[in-house]
Amino acid sequence: MEYRLFYLTKDLPIYFRADQVGLLFFTVETVLWLAAGIFSLDYMKQEKHKARYYGAYFLVYGVLQGLNFAGNMITFYLFYELMTLLSVPLVLHHQTKEALMAGLKYLLYSVFGGALILFGFFLLASYGNGLTFQAAGILAGQVPGEKEALVLSASFCMILGFSVKAGMFPFHGWLPTAHPEAPAPASAVLSAVIVKMGILGIIRTVYYVVGADVLRGTWVQIIWLILALITVFMGSVLAYRERLLKKRLAYSTVSQAAYILFGLALMNGQALTGSLLHIVCHALFKGTLFLFAGALIHQTGKQRVDELKGIGKQMPAALWCFTLASLGLVGIPPTVGFLSKWYLAAGALESKILPFSWLGPAVLLISALFTAGYLLPISIEGFLPGDRFGEKRKKEPAWLMLFPILTLAFVSLLMGIFPGIITDQLIQIVGTIF
Amino acid sequence: MRGKMSTIWQYDIPQIGGLGISFTLSGFRLLYLVITTFMWAECLIFSTEYMENEKHRVRYYFFTLATYIATVGVFLSADLLTLFLCFELMSFTSYVWVAQEESKEALQAAGTYLAIAILGGMVMLMGLFLLYDLTSTLEIGGLYEACQPYLGDTRLYLAGGCILFGFGAKAGVVPLHIWLPKAHPVAPAPASALLSGVLTKTGIFGILILTGEIFMEDGAWGSLILSLGVITMVWGAVLALCSVDLKRTLACSSMSQIGFILVGIGTWVLLGEHGQIALSGAILHMMNHSLFKLVLFLAAGTVYMNTHRLNLNEIRGFGRNKPLLKFSFLMAALGIAGVPLWSGYISKTLLHEGLLEYYHLLLEGTVAVTVFGPAAIKIIEWVFLISGGLTCAYMLKLYVAVFVEESRQEKVLKQDEKKRAYWKKSSAACVALAAGLLPLMGCLPGLTMERLAIFSVGAKGAAHTLDIPYFSLTNLRGAIISLGIGALLYLLAVRRGMMKEDSYINVWPAGLDLENLLYRPLLLQAIPFICTLVCRILDRFTDGMVVILRKTLYRDSPLPHELEEGNLLTHYVGHFLDMVIHGMNKTVWIDNQKEESQEHRLSMLYEAFSENNTIIGRSLSFGLFMSLAGLVVVLIYLLIQF
Repeated sequence: MEYRLFYLTKDLPIYFRADQVGLLFFTVETVLWLAAGIFSLDYMKQEKHKARYYGAYFLVYGVLQGLNFAGNMITFYLFYELMTLLSVPLVLHHQTKEALMAGLKYLLYSVFGGALILFGFFLLASYGNGLTFQAAGILAGQVPGEKEALVLSASFCMILGFSVKAGMFPFHGWLPTAHPEAPAPASAVLSAVIVKMGILGIIRTVYYVVGADVLRGTWVQIIWLILALITVFMGSVLAYRERLLKKRLAYSTVSQAAYILFGLALMNGQALTGSLLHIVCHALFKGTLFLFAGALIHQTGKQRVDELKGIGKQMPAALWCFTLASLGLVGIPPTVGFLSKWYLAAGALESKILPFSWLGPAVLLISALFTAGYLLPISIEGFLPGDRFGEKRKKEPAWLMLFPILTLAFVSLLMGIFPGIITDQLIQIVGTIF
Repeated sequence: MRGKMSTIWQYDIPQIGGLGISFTLSGFRLLYLVITTFMWAECLIFSTEYMENEKHRVRYYFFTLATYIATVGVFLSADLLTLFLCFELMSFTSYVWVAQEESKEALQAAGTYLAIAILGGMVMLMGLFLLYDLTSTLEIGGLYEACQPYLGDTRLYLAGGCILFGFGAKAGVVPLHIWLPKAHPVAPAPASALLSGVLTKTGIFGILILTGEIFMEDGAWGSLILSLGVITMVWGAVLALCSVDLKRTLACSSMSQIGFILVGIGTWVLLGEHGQIALSGAILHMMNHSLFKLVLFLAAGTVYMNTHRLNLNEIRGFGRNKPLLKFSFLMAALGIAGVPLWSGYISKTLLHEGLLEYYHLLLEGTVAVTVFGPAAIKIIEWVFLISGGLTCAYMLKLYVAVFVEESRQEKVLKQDEKKRAYWKKSSAACVALAAGLLPLMGCLPGLTMERLAIFSVGAKGAAHTLDIPYFSLTNLRGAIISLGIGALLYLLAVRRGMMKEDSYINVWPAGLDLENLLYRPLLLQAIPFICTLVCRILDRFTDGMVVILRKTLYRDSPLPHELEEGNLLTHYVGHFLDMVIHGMNKTVWIDNQKEESQEHRLSMLYEAFSENNTIIGRSLSFGLFMSLAGLVVVLIYLLIQF
């Protein structure tokens, strides 16, 4: 399935093609978008500027489809920038000074990333027509030896540029600022989906344009691995120290997205499977967690984690879903989070890149400990507030809000028990690349 | 254990969990399946009475059953991944037991329990990663073959060490024992019985697998397990002797007994081919300990549900007029103390026999010295006997306090007078049944225990007995020494040292609590503090760069604002002149200061100038002047043109 919309220049088409990676992202996005959309119906009732919110919400969804099914880099880039611009209204929805500044910060970081991407794109554009995506890359064997440094620098620029959206150190700064400012359903999709678009960009660059064979074993891979591991660690430690629930979740996203980047950087089948799987499960988990945070704000007005004692007595069903997603994010079996972590660690060990082959899994596990430290106490204090805690009135959110949370949690549970549904697909995708 | 047992049942579910889970059933696993089920059944029956007036009963029963499923899963799992899966599930579901009462202590203990469980789980997972990387298999049956090429490899030790950490944390091995003395006293008694009787055994089960399948011929590993066992054995027993809390004593006793079992496993490894006796001892002691703790904790639960107290001084004499409770407790106490004719004696004798055998083999030179020489083994043997003595002493302390001494608590006395039934028939039957098994097994070791041991270990050749003369003088000697030490310790240490004015003093070494001394400050303060510091710097790095750039290179231009007076020219020139005057005032005109008002003066000039301009511009003469100027220009133009 492919389609050329029009030609920018003689051999630079706006070109769409549906492949399995695109379909995977499409599925994840659609599930998340539906869930957060249904959630918004109730959540946004008291908010102003609903038309603008929903308008931007659906426009971004449309743009995402362009990203999923872009067939070459120029198409991807165009939609990528469009996504940045259109998602800004979601961030500065509340129009407070903080929200505006957060929106500006988001824009600044994104534009900087976009510039890096464009620079890399210009450098690479002379190889292959419009950098049409092709599994396993188009540059392998095409690059003359003396141009190798150029190609590596260009790929590095593009990786770095896309990693701005994925929140990789040192470009993670916008995430913890922008996410808490957006309305909860918007932060859910920002965190669960928009962040993943940077990752899709990196997948396209590394595995569909440059080719893993070109990058494997070079300085690009090493620096990328180092940055990813720093991000994994940093994100989880800062989340552990953060008191504002939504900001904590945003830092957690920084850390979890870096898991995915780490897997991509390893450039082998196991790790790539792990990364793709983690894309799916992180989207589900983080969606659940952010929607819970939204329900919490909506029902009780509480935003800080130290106010959440006994919340399990008020919103038991929602907190159960939160707990389930937390366990998944920590990677406790039998949730699907465990499986993705298993693949990632197995991939790291298989890669034999010292010291990352053992350092990687160690950092992942230490980060998992911190993850347990910043998520589980919420559930524990929520459900077990102590014997001095009196009975409280139930404040379970309305069905329109509860339903998406329950669905996401249920889907992640189902995936944990029968991950075969998705891993079979992933293994096929990985098979086309390696 | 390896390869000698025929598999009774095997079941793989490849699609579950992505990597597939598989179960198998063979000798030892069957034994523990039966024990687990038996204990759960007993505890559930007991719970119906114990939990009658408690809150959150549904939660308790739900998690009890969930833990049962997970525990059975652990004992039946055919590969380490399934084992890990069930192990983690078990840790999380059993967490609710500890937190059940939701008191402050309960929640803190539960927090400790969960933290240790998660820490252990994660380290174990790291070990599994490393192991899987080496061997590409985690199937327990295939591990032995897969590990052969890597024996003695540091990576294998690293993997084994990580996995041992995880299992050891659950078994309560020093220094990861901290959760045991805290969690047991606060959990409901039936749950304590299960925690202590079965859940710690899952850790031991893991260590057995690790040892049997990977490190069977490794002296260093054997010595490690042996030393861990010795330390745990002694420390647990000492703590138990110091405690004045009924359930905490039992919890520490669990620790100590786990140490005994580990000593058996360590000796098994060191003995290698000759290790069957030590292994049988370890397995039988596991089984015995499960049953002892079942009876003891349920008895403690009976005390608690009547008095709601656990301190020995407050529950003193509770059991004086309760013959069935007294009998049950006595059976278990005699068993755990290793008195001949009770089941504990049999397993302890086997463990002791294993140590002696290793000692003799070392002396003969049949077995090479690895870490411990014959002298060290002799010392370990004595430590073993002394620990047995300590066991004897603390059980005597409990028995005398609860069942012999007169009560001075009104509550207990009143309850005694009322003659109200202190437990239901169902609970009584549970405890008595389990208690009755103990002397039965102890009196007929050949018929019962040996068969079980051979069934679970797998017999070599046609041997159907272990050929141990349990009641020979040499073997009785060990027990007698232990009991002697115990009696002596009780009389000297407990009666003299730990009692003041006829009440038990709390000599619990709270200062030595590793949790508050080391783990909490280190793991909750020091390490997060350093990590946070580093991460904050990293976090601020980019934003900091942006801020620095904005302060230096990319300074925001000031907002264009209306000048209050004058125009830009007067503003800048005046400003410049003012700066000059300011400079001169500071340097040359120090005595003769001039006013820095040039800006204002210039703008006043400008104002006056523009005012004059306006006046002139609007005047008639200015108009005439302008038309004249126009005429002149036209004139000049005409002159030039023509």
